[in-house]
Amino acid sequence: MANITISYFNLAHSFLLLLIPIGLSLFFKLFLVKDVLYSVVRMSLQLILIGLFLKYLFKLNNTWINILWLAVMIVTAVFSAIKNSPLKWKKVFLPVFFSFFASVFIVVIYLNSFVLDLEKIFDARYLIVLGGMVLGNSMRGNIVGLSSVYEKIRDNQKRYFYLLSLGANVKEAIFPYVQSSVKLALKPTLAAMATMGIVSLPGMMTGTILGGASPELAVKYQIMIMLGILSSTTMSVVLSIVLTFPFCFDSGGLLKRDIFKEE
Amino acid sequence: MVPVLELRKVNLSYEKKIFQDLNLKIYPGDKVVFIGSSGIGKTSLFKIILGFINDYQGEILFSGEKVSKQNIWKIRSQIAYIDQDVSFPEGKVTNFWEYVFSLKANQKIKPSLEERENIFTFLELPFSVLEKKSEEVSGGERQRLALAIALLLKRKIFLLDEATSSLDRKLKKKVVDYFLNQKSLTVLSISHDSEWLDTNKAKVFNLEQNKWQI
Repeated sequence: MANITISYFNLAHSFLLLLIPIGLSLFFKLFLVKDVLYSVVRMSLQLILIGLFLKYLFKLNNTWINILWLAVMIVTAVFSAIKNSPLKWKKVFLPVFFSFFASVFIVVIYLNSFVLDLEKIFDARYLIVLGGMVLGNSMRGNIVGLSSVYEKIRDNQKRYFYLLSLGANVKEAIFPYVQSSVKLALKPTLAAMATMGIVSLPGMMTGTILGGASPELAVKYQIMIMLGILSSTTMSVVLSIVLTFPFCFDSGGLLKRDIFKEE
Repeated sequence: MVPVLELRKVNLSYEKKIFQDLNLKIYPGDKVVFIGSSGIGKTSLFKIILGFINDYQGEILFSGEKVSKQNIWKIRSQIAYIDQDVSFPEGKVTNFWEYVFSLKANQKIKPSLEERENIFTFLELPFSVLEKKSEEVSGGERQRLALAIALLLKRKIFLLDEATSSLDRKLKKKVVDYFLNQKSLTVLSISHDSEWLDTNKAKVFNLEQNKWQI
């Protein structure tokens, strides 16, 4: 299959599609023009820059630089996850960082060594691309999981107190919340997996096929990445909750107030 | 005799003063009913005793020992507490039931089937309630379940915050009489119901006036 390249001139044509959202926004007074332009400019600049950056990274393909870049990606993901949770980053950064780091590395290194059988396990192309996909999904799961567990305890204190009064220690008292929050965090991933191929052709598959690979190979990649996403999301959500809770409760078992952002 | 619970000059205030210089001694076997208009701090008092509120001033002693974050766990394990609007975690009630009696602190007192049956019969609670989902259980059933759990935990001190409010008259009388007649139990109850108040077996403390009512 031929690999069609897109010239920048051709790519410019795709920007003409913007006339549709902009036109509709103006016609229906949605006041979205500014937001649309802001997001489009940011997306384009970020992607062009990252494209150039990855080109050099792939060319260099130095193990330590690859790992360093993945670490930068993880730090960004951790900040973003905490920013979208009700928690202050100062209080929970370290445990969340550790849980992301451990789950992403374990999954990606496993895939690279046993599924893809790479000679160079820290090869930039695989470490960074697979790491990014796994990381993005773990981040989404963590936003749901971390928010849910701490918000539920904060907003339904009565029930939490009741469990303590029944004799539960902190671990036992948060257990029901952990159960329901992990389930909630995994729901989107499980739902996406269950409808995959029918409702949508997932991003990685689309990319692989457009890039010239056979659908068969694309499917194999997709199955591999979905299993990776599922396990790293589960692992990172569970670890994040388990590792943050010693920082979030006082010795009397009460949820600390100062872990939450000011409303 | 050492009071099982003693409050010395306890002050609690948020935007407004909740209570000021509260002094209280409760001895083993006492039955005390707390009254006072809503917002006066009846529920807060229970939460202070259980260590759920700790930004108060003053001293609280439990069996002569000053309450701290370290010994609060031991204290909680001697108290059965029922909140005015008790609720259970999501899922089936039976899962919650299992959970309560599998907690490390409660493993030794797992009730026998017979004990459970006696309590359920006493509280006129059908076994089928255990198969319901927690959000399907009615207010009256929740109170009876909480009472069943509290009684089966075999603790000596009961903090009952409107814990019999949703029971019908006859059952309420039966349950209140039970608590008032158990000599070994120390019972602190927040209630305005006549079943608790019109009896010579309980002392009444008026939190609004900060004194015992005679």
